[in-house]
Amino acid sequence: MSAGHGYRLPLGGSIDRGTELTFSFNGRRMIGYGGDTLASALIANGVSLIARSLKWHRPRGFFGACVEDPNSMLEVRDAHGCDPAIRAGQVRLVQGLQATTLSGWPSPDFDIGAVARLASGVLGAGFYYKTFKWPDWQWFEPVIRRMTGYGRAGRNIDERSVQHSHATCDVLVIGSGPSGLAVARALKDSGLRIVVAEQGHMLGGSCLWEQGQIDGQSSLSFRNRILAELEAAASVTLLPSTVVTGAYEGDMFTLVQTLHDSRGIRCERHWRLHATNVVLATGMIDRPLPFVNNDRPGIMLSSAVRRLIGQFAVAPARRLCIYTNNDSAYLTAMNARRAGMDVVAVVDTRPAAAAIHADPTGQLGIPLYFDSLIENTSGYRRLEAIQVRSGDGSRRELACDGLAISGGWVPTLHLAAHRGIKPVYDEARSMHICSSLPPGWFAIGGANGALDLEAAMDEAECAAEVIAAAHRVAPLRRRCHIEADSFGTVTPAWLPPSGPSTKIWIDLQNDVTAADIELAARENYVSIEHLKRYTTLGMGTDQGRTSNVNGLAMLASLTGRPIAEVGTTTFRPPFSSVRFSTIANARRGDLYQPRRRLPAEQVHREWGCVMEDSGWERPDWYRSNGPDRESAVAEEMRAVRESVGVFDSSSLGKIEITGPDAATFLARFYVSNMATLKPGRIRYSVMLREDGVIADDGVVACISPQHFLASPTSGNAATIAAWFERWRQTEWPSLRVAVSNATENWAALAIAGRAARRLLQRLDPDFDSSAGAFGHMEFRAGKLSGIPARVARVSFTGELQYEISVPSRYASSLMRALLTSSDGLTPRPVGLEAWLRLRLEKGYIHFGSETNGRTSPLDIGMAGIVARRSDDFIGKRSLSLPFATSPEREQLVGLIATHGALRAGGRIMVAGHSSAPCPTEGYVTSACFSPTLGESIGLALIERGHQREGDAVSVYCAGRIVLARICAPTFFDPKNERLHL
Amino acid sequence: MIILRCPYCRELKSEDELSYGGEAWVSRPLEPHRADDEQWTDYLHMRSNPKGLVFEQWCCSSGCGQWFKVERDTATHAVLRIVRFDAEPRAA
Repeated sequence: MSAGHGYRLPLGGSIDRGTELTFSFNGRRMIGYGGDTLASALIANGVSLIARSLKWHRPRGFFGACVEDPNSMLEVRDAHGCDPAIRAGQVRLVQGLQATTLSGWPSPDFDIGAVARLASGVLGAGFYYKTFKWPDWQWFEPVIRRMTGYGRAGRNIDERSVQHSHATCDVLVIGSGPSGLAVARALKDSGLRIVVAEQGHMLGGSCLWEQGQIDGQSSLSFRNRILAELEAAASVTLLPSTVVTGAYEGDMFTLVQTLHDSRGIRCERHWRLHATNVVLATGMIDRPLPFVNNDRPGIMLSSAVRRLIGQFAVAPARRLCIYTNNDSAYLTAMNARRAGMDVVAVVDTRPAAAAIHADPTGQLGIPLYFDSLIENTSGYRRLEAIQVRSGDGSRRELACDGLAISGGWVPTLHLAAHRGIKPVYDEARSMHICSSLPPGWFAIGGANGALDLEAAMDEAECAAEVIAAAHRVAPLRRRCHIEADSFGTVTPAWLPPSGPSTKIWIDLQNDVTAADIELAARENYVSIEHLKRYTTLGMGTDQGRTSNVNGLAMLASLTGRPIAEVGTTTFRPPFSSVRFSTIANARRGDLYQPRRRLPAEQVHREWGCVMEDSGWERPDWYRSNGPDRESAVAEEMRAVRESVGVFDSSSLGKIEITGPDAATFLARFYVSNMATLKPGRIRYSVMLREDGVIADDGVVACISPQHFLASPTSGNAATIAAWFERWRQTEWPSLRVAVSNATENWAALAIAGRAARRLLQRLDPDFDSSAGAFGHMEFRAGKLSGIPARVARVSFTGELQYEISVPSRYASSLMRALLTSSDGLTPRPVGLEAWLRLRLEKGYIHFGSETNGRTSPLDIGMAGIVARRSDDFIGKRSLSLPFATSPEREQLVGLIATHGALRAGGRIMVAGHSSAPCPTEGYVTSACFSPTLGESIGLALIERGHQREGDAVSVYCAGRIVLARICAPTFFDPKNERLHL
Repeated sequence: MIILRCPYCRELKSEDELSYGGEAWVSRPLEPHRADDEQWTDYLHMRSNPKGLVFEQWCCSSGCGQWFKVERDTATHAVLRIVRFDAEPRAA
């Protein structure tokens, strides 16, 4: 053994001894090999103390080798990012990796918090519930939260690349141990698309560490041969370092695949994989044996010890003892001995007659103690000795620094449980198995409770046969000749005769002891789900892999019930921790959603626009109009009111409705009757949902009797196009009409102000644009300076206004032409803020501001239009339901402040109240200071508002009370003289 | 995950690529003004919502854009039938 990593065995293991990797642990430089996990490399370097326990700050070491380990949560950093809390056994060792412990202060070796152990006996089950209930848990929560938990959330966004992959396959094999590989091989030439997912970074599962012989070869050679065959098969996808994190309805699975680029930098792929057939070949793990002081560093699951020796050539101890109630731990003893380790003894709770591997183990010179129990252990930072009492009453102390324990097995069934399968207790094998599975699923090998390799391989063959038959393909039939030691039988030992104790740990991660479970049972928490929540048993990030079964078995014996009757807790996804950044994936920052850009964006930038993003990136205001937002907005409003301004309204929807029944079709959507709209005319209206609530507003232009153009709100174009299309297909398929969304095809620039006509005429329209020939709410299609254009004379600002649409490619040149100063005109670009304030002065509604999910046309003053419609339209019938006609509804009104400044969102206080909090009866939907009127104005939805014109109201606006008067919702040019200039 | 073959474009689409449109065969009163409040609100809000077989509307929204009807078991997600809207035309 070299000095660098003193616990490395001289031979064996699937590691690359030619590749030395340097890494650090709490700042200490260490060396591992290619093929190591962080856990195996740390153990090889003699690290045994990895954490302090949650409550008692007890020293803790590695307990498992991989995902089952409750203790080894570390912060792991590489060149490109940081995992704030990840299990060491799940991290592949790479060059330069930095690992830091999460618990223990100042360090896990010397932890001041360990004084907590003096309080032993106080921090029992339900301690927090019982202690911190007065005056209020929330007083204590921040302090307690700081004392608990794992890791520090990173402040920087993890910049490692994550990809999404959506895929389907015919057969998903989860786990690449011998039985999983056998299924994949049997089906590899069948044409079925097979995915094999393996959580370890090397495929092969237990082939990498168990000692059996398959077809006369070592299991490792078997694995190498099959992998070569599978890699050559085009229809097989092998995914090492891939955790299947969840199984969902319809056999959709989420997988997290960890990849390393050539520099060893971790990146991830988040899969959503749909599988027709599922083979659960996830194996099983040992469960611990309970005894006093069973949590000391150096005590480890027997299967983990076999894996460390077999796969990583790491000896987890200098002097190893084995403690078991079954035969599988004898394999650990023999493997350790053959690997050159000093095996002190095997302590078996059973009589000698039960032990099937006793003879070969004894022949290796390993002392065997039958009918014996571990009474206690000693050592603080690391195990030093165990105290053994045998059935004949003799006691002995065995010095050792490692103890491999096995108390039976726990098949890994989580994914079946995600699908609602309840594992049932199998008395004969003393383990939970699935008695039924979702259709198309197969559990084989360890996951099915198989205790020897021969049975596992038979199950694999059988699963492959059934899958092949279901898909009508032929499997490759090849029987393997197996020579491997059986895991034998188990005699359960749930509690030592000494009974529950505060020193017998059941859940190592959450520090739940046998005494806690006994106390919870005494306090009548006898449902396993209640026990779990009361004691936090199994609620750690390890999901109780090593604690659940022992906890529920203990509860069963304490309450005198069979284990089967106690049931199990519910396993939910994810199977192991998934980072939020993995789920969020590339969908963040610029890629969160597509940026929609205006076709004339370049020109806006030339004019110094300040963009705002509301689905579209639109100019909010222009620096060329003023040094700051307020002054620029005022200048933009002044330009429109006194001369002319140019606003880019390209984001407004443009939906073409064509066909002989186009008018009939549109009439069914809008409150106003579009069927009577004549060519060249425009009508404004709202459309409703079937429940009478306003779904959108906008204008419709009739281009010709069979061709209409609807303009929904900017953010709503796709939704409204889909809404039209849905009704066309599902309700009125006989109407001869086509719907097409042409929003992006056309750029639209609105020019508004008394000089708008002069500006339009500067573009040399090929149609008569005089006031008499082209009136308000009229539409012309023609050419401007030879460019095809659609011009709508509509107004959002209360001024003479034209909306000019040209094919998007002309957007910039049209914008430049409009903004050119000449003929005494100096058009200003106008941003969204000024535009919305102009319409507020005019009192026009802005969909989404003046409407909410309850607003009907009756509420916004359209009752007359509704009453005039004799025929039906979507939502009309709902307007005569009692709730729609109720006088108590919030109705749209104007507000003029008499004291203070109104703000959108301000609440209308019920009369008689002068201070907040108080009941309210509506809210301010939009507000601004109107430079045109010189007053603070707003629109509001107020209960019974239409009858309350002239009333004085108090408005609670962000901490201030503003006084206002209710008025008609039109502040500017109520006679519409400006529209008809 | 629900995976359906669109009966129009014949492509296999996962539920991410489809839109759900609620129960099918909810008939809109032909003359809404003659429906009483209860009949109208039943049409608006009341659905059979069974545990078991139900016809639903789905749209191939990330594909060809066509709506179709799917008979699905809400308990098992088993899809029994996929029907085009033009298979059984209804009066406008």
